[in-house]
Amino acid sequence: MDAIANTSNIMKKTPKNIFTEGPIAPAFISDSIAKHSSNTSIGGHSIFLGQVRADVIDDKQVIAIEYTAYNELALEKMHQIREAIFSKYPLTCMHIHHSLGRVAVGEICLFVFTSSAHRRAAIDACNEIVERIKNELPIWGKEILEDASHQWKVNQ
Amino acid sequence: MLIMENGKRIQVFFFGKLSEIAGAATTLSNLHNTDELIQHLHTQFPALANEKFAVAVNKQTIHTNTELPDNCTVALLPPFSGG
Repeated sequence: MDAIANTSNIMKKTPKNIFTEGPIAPAFISDSIAKHSSNTSIGGHSIFLGQVRADVIDDKQVIAIEYTAYNELALEKMHQIREAIFSKYPLTCMHIHHSLGRVAVGEICLFVFTSSAHRRAAIDACNEIVERIKNELPIWGKEILEDASHQWKVNQ
Repeated sequence: MLIMENGKRIQVFFFGKLSEIAGAATTLSNLHNTDELIQHLHTQFPALANEKFAVAVNKQTIHTNTELPDNCTVALLPPFSGG
């Protein structure tokens, strides 16, 4: 329904949800791309997909990341970031999805999708959104290791 | 009988690694500002001493000692690791 953001969408008071329980399905991503074919003012899309990496920590391999968040605050912050990005770049639309709960290695945990008339805005906005999500959203990843022990993820 | 207790109720949330130390949430009273609150939590949960965290009062991150309003929510936020 809300495939294409418009100005009234940006002005909306209630922050949009970004959280999905579990991994983000590749089919959801391709559907999301397909929905944009009707907006012919778009000339470029930029997509970032975060995938859970099988890091090795003290000889033990990461098998999944379990995400938790301070939901209310995260959605408020995301709303502020969304508005700041929309006022900085001439975007046609912006979609953000982040996983909560368990996401296995190889699965997608973050999906950022920006579109604009010309590529530069979509690319730069997408990069900036990813950086700001990692730095500013109160979300935490617990890396589950193969022996069922865990360690708290640290962003680089 | 006159109850002299300060009715101030403070709900405290612990996130990420801190929830393993202190549980997900606790309710406290009789604390007036964030310095008092943090000191109280350090006494109650000594392992917090080894952890780095930011403090948010009613969803606003604070940088100096801050008065706690009635029925406020305080969150202890370890470094973020989303994405």
